[in-house]
Amino acid sequence: MCKECGCGETNGNTRLQFLVKGYTEDGAKEVEKTLLGLPGVLYVHIHWHEGETTVDYSPAKTKLMDILNVFNERGLEAAL
Amino acid sequence: MEVTVMKNILGENDRIAAENQALFKEKNVYVLNLMGSPGAGKTSLLEKTMERIKDKVRMAVIEGDLFTSKDAERIEKHGVPVIQINTAGGCHLDAPMVQKTAVKLDLDNLDLLIVENVGNLVCPAEFAVGEDDKGVVLSITEGDDKPMKYPLIFKESAVAVLNKVDLVPFCNFNLQSAEEDIDTLHPGMDVIEVSCTKDAGLDAWCDWLLARVRAKQGK
Repeated sequence: MCKECGCGETNGNTRLQFLVKGYTEDGAKEVEKTLLGLPGVLYVHIHWHEGETTVDYSPAKTKLMDILNVFNERGLEAAL
Repeated sequence: MEVTVMKNILGENDRIAAENQALFKEKNVYVLNLMGSPGAGKTSLLEKTMERIKDKVRMAVIEGDLFTSKDAERIEKHGVPVIQINTAGGCHLDAPMVQKTAVKLDLDNLDLLIVENVGNLVCPAEFAVGEDDKGVVLSITEGDDKPMKYPLIFKESAVAVLNKVDLVPFCNFNLQSAEEDIDTLHPGMDVIEVSCTKDAGLDAWCDWLLARVRAKQGK
């Protein structure tokens, strides 16, 4: 959304931070790419050593469960 | 305590966009909302598009700009109906603007309406105008980092046109990296490389557009 002019301000995204256990370096890159491919996911940043995973997304377009499934399908444990 | 309920401006825009979409469906007109930065080459792409397909489909253009009718004047030279919307500083077109404008066009005798949005990689992606598809023009001179920096516009668009590809050898633009980023943000999205000044890739772009028109019209 445009914070300069304020237009679209009611269409707010949500930014969540997960702690994810079980990343490898390549696995984290693959998770990042998969999350970014979900509708409404605009930003993903992963510190794979610590497991810190930041996801900026639109709840109107992607359900939280869809994001959690990306972790679950890869055998990763994610906590908010 | 009184609780103030703010009006959802996007909700109101979406309602009018749905009305526009219903009108365009009834009239069998395919509508493309063309977005991109100032200087990306949206109007140049339109000029080249008109040269190639104005005799194949009945088309019209709505031009969005903050001020001036410079772009509309460029379109008019090609003999295609064009209406200019000046937003007077507004950073995007919205559905009410397009609704007021579209009724001035002879929709019964149109196949294709292209709405060239205000040059901006942020706000236009937030506002539906009643289009069938959004498209984004990204030029090589803007840099290959733009898809990840401005993800929404690539998420929302059905096609990305990479313009000025003739300048790749002279710019620090990694075409492969940019196209991979676009595919990451919008898996399977159509990406078309063009150069409006060198007349390259434009047939592929026009084929894409004509296929969309035919699909809308069930041909």
